[in-house]
Amino acid sequence: MESTLDIFVKAIFSENMIFAYFLGMCSYLAVSKTVKTAVGLGLAVIFVLTVTVPVNYLLENYVLKQGALTWIDPKYAELDLSFLAFIMFIAVVASMVQLVEMLVEKFAPALYGALGIFLPLIAVNCSILGGALFMQERQYSTILDATAFSLGSGIGWFIAIVAIAAIREKLRYSNVPGPLRGLGITFIVTGLMGIAFMSFMGIKYGEEVAEESAPTETSASDQTPENN
Amino acid sequence: MAFNKESNGFTFGFAIVLVIVLGVVLASLSEGLRPFKEKNVRVKKQLDILSAMLDIEKEGITRANAEDIFPKYVDLNDAIIINYKGQEIGKGKEAFEIDIKKEFRDKTLEEKDKRYPLFIAKESNKKRYIIPVVGKGLWGPIWGYLCLKEDMRTILGVSFDHKQETPGLGAEINKKFFMEQWKSSQISNDQGMFQKYEVVKDMSGKKSDTDNAIDGITGGTITSKGVEEMVNRTLKLYSIYFKSKM
Amino acid sequence: MSTEKVSKEPLFSKKNKKLITDPVTDNNPITIQVLGICSALAITVQVSQAVVMSLSVLFVMIMGNLIISLLRHMIPSRIRIIVQLLIVASLVIVVDQVLAAFLPDLSAKLSVFVGLIITNCIIMGRLEAFAMGNKPWPSILDGFGNAIGYGVILIIVAVFRELLGSGTLMGYPLLGDSITGTGLYSIGYMNNNLMILPPMALIIVGIIIWVQRSRNKELIEEH
Repeated sequence: MESTLDIFVKAIFSENMIFAYFLGMCSYLAVSKTVKTAVGLGLAVIFVLTVTVPVNYLLENYVLKQGALTWIDPKYAELDLSFLAFIMFIAVVASMVQLVEMLVEKFAPALYGALGIFLPLIAVNCSILGGALFMQERQYSTILDATAFSLGSGIGWFIAIVAIAAIREKLRYSNVPGPLRGLGITFIVTGLMGIAFMSFMGIKYGEEVAEESAPTETSASDQTPENN
Repeated sequence: MAFNKESNGFTFGFAIVLVIVLGVVLASLSEGLRPFKEKNVRVKKQLDILSAMLDIEKEGITRANAEDIFPKYVDLNDAIIINYKGQEIGKGKEAFEIDIKKEFRDKTLEEKDKRYPLFIAKESNKKRYIIPVVGKGLWGPIWGYLCLKEDMRTILGVSFDHKQETPGLGAEINKKFFMEQWKSSQISNDQGMFQKYEVVKDMSGKKSDTDNAIDGITGGTITSKGVEEMVNRTLKLYSIYFKSKM
Repeated sequence: MSTEKVSKEPLFSKKNKKLITDPVTDNNPITIQVLGICSALAITVQVSQAVVMSLSVLFVMIMGNLIISLLRHMIPSRIRIIVQLLIVASLVIVVDQVLAAFLPDLSAKLSVFVGLIITNCIIMGRLEAFAMGNKPWPSILDGFGNAIGYGVILIIVAVFRELLGSGTLMGYPLLGDSITGTGLYSIGYMNNNLMILPPMALIIVGIIIWVQRSRNKELIEEH
């Protein structure tokens, strides 16, 4: 199965939240006008993702899914609360964002002012809830995997938004036709960046190399203790 | 309205009532729909198993009638469960309940605890063996079923499926043109030793004559190779069981 | 409220009609308001997915707007956002459960994106901007209009992607069969596989924005 490192690297490059799954587009488009705000929001997203996904992982595995509550009492083995997942996940996310908001206001008031409404909007940023939902769907088996996934996704999102912000700053000096200016050209450039990121699909992950070099005849007898 | 909706008491009360109402509505909906959801999962599995053995479109088997038709071909009481060494460790209906996708993904599950189901079916009055397989594609899991003839060696048919492989490329593994190629190939030689499959880019590039060669999907190399790995890893195991039955 | 006349506005008065037509063109949630982009791009590989997604959003928006509008005088302002979030999340759970029970194949294809309707900025945006301050019937119309505006863009993008990428529409092969080489494929036409991949959705929406702004010069940005 995939190693933790594979999950981490995949989340940054070939399964990038923005380029492969389009999560977090709204704030991505709105806050990428300057690199400074992009960096600020990107860091906030990394933080929120890396904290909320593991917490939601614990919720999913110890409260929500079928048989999760057996640590309280074995008779709960049939109980399946996973239909409450959406509500609980978003509650965790909303509280975390509230916390981040308070921290940023206290320690980086200038950034707080620059980000404005977009900080509380991280709560409804698809990438945060999406991260939790992907974690649930892929059923990562350890909390380390879930954390690697969320940290990687956050970093991937960060790279995407800083890159597009840098490009947009330069684009302002180009001669973009009227109707395409601003939003339109950003979409197209993001599409092109997405195509570029697809090249990462070719990365060969660790274990597949080992599989191919095992010869047939001996491996069949590897399994049985007696050799014929 | 006379009361103050901003008061602490009302705020608190409103929140509690809302949560209770929502909780009750959602819980009843979820419970009420549960039999439908479970049936859907069960029927899908039955369809997948049958599609390795027959052309379900031609036979007219759909989600609507699968539950009735399935027992006519597969008697779950005959199903067998084997372990990672190819030894029989169980029998019967519980084989159907084993979620091999989950076991494949679960890193905390040790090899020795993994269970591999084998379904025994009857078709055209002959015994058929159906093996579930699961593996990794490019974007997500891939899986399928392999159906062997009564000689426990020759493939009668296969069915593959995937969650989110690239449409038009890797996603084509569930199309007839790819799955037909596996028919009539032999998974083991006369001595019962496993014969590996190889998915190649062009048929003249086979590594050796004894290997089974399957033409991969152009542009869907990683998914095709995923199918190869999945089939080889699983058949290697089951062939030990079949050899012990020879 | 001051001297409010209690005259009832006809159900489909000009003002009310505008609630439906505005979001489809001049105030389109996706291309003008820049909301709800995420799902618009991910769920447009096939028209059937786009249709189901649009219908789900339609249901959530209409019911959401209706419920919030009915409750608007009762919701304490401190927990306003949480209440909105709870209502939306619950409605989405309803949609998800119904899909899993009755349309399992589609439910599997849509997977996490049904859940992501909760974070679809359009829904929360309209609840806050409109339903909280308006009567139930106009709120229903507003929800309806925005959902249609959203659906229209989704379906346009999906039509392009499915037709050019797989040669089919709603699963029906329109251009012939690519494997056996009939129809258009016999003269060497090949599916543009790039259309099926995520980046093309972005480019298509970019082009739609281009077209929209060319027709309505007021929308052009300064820089």
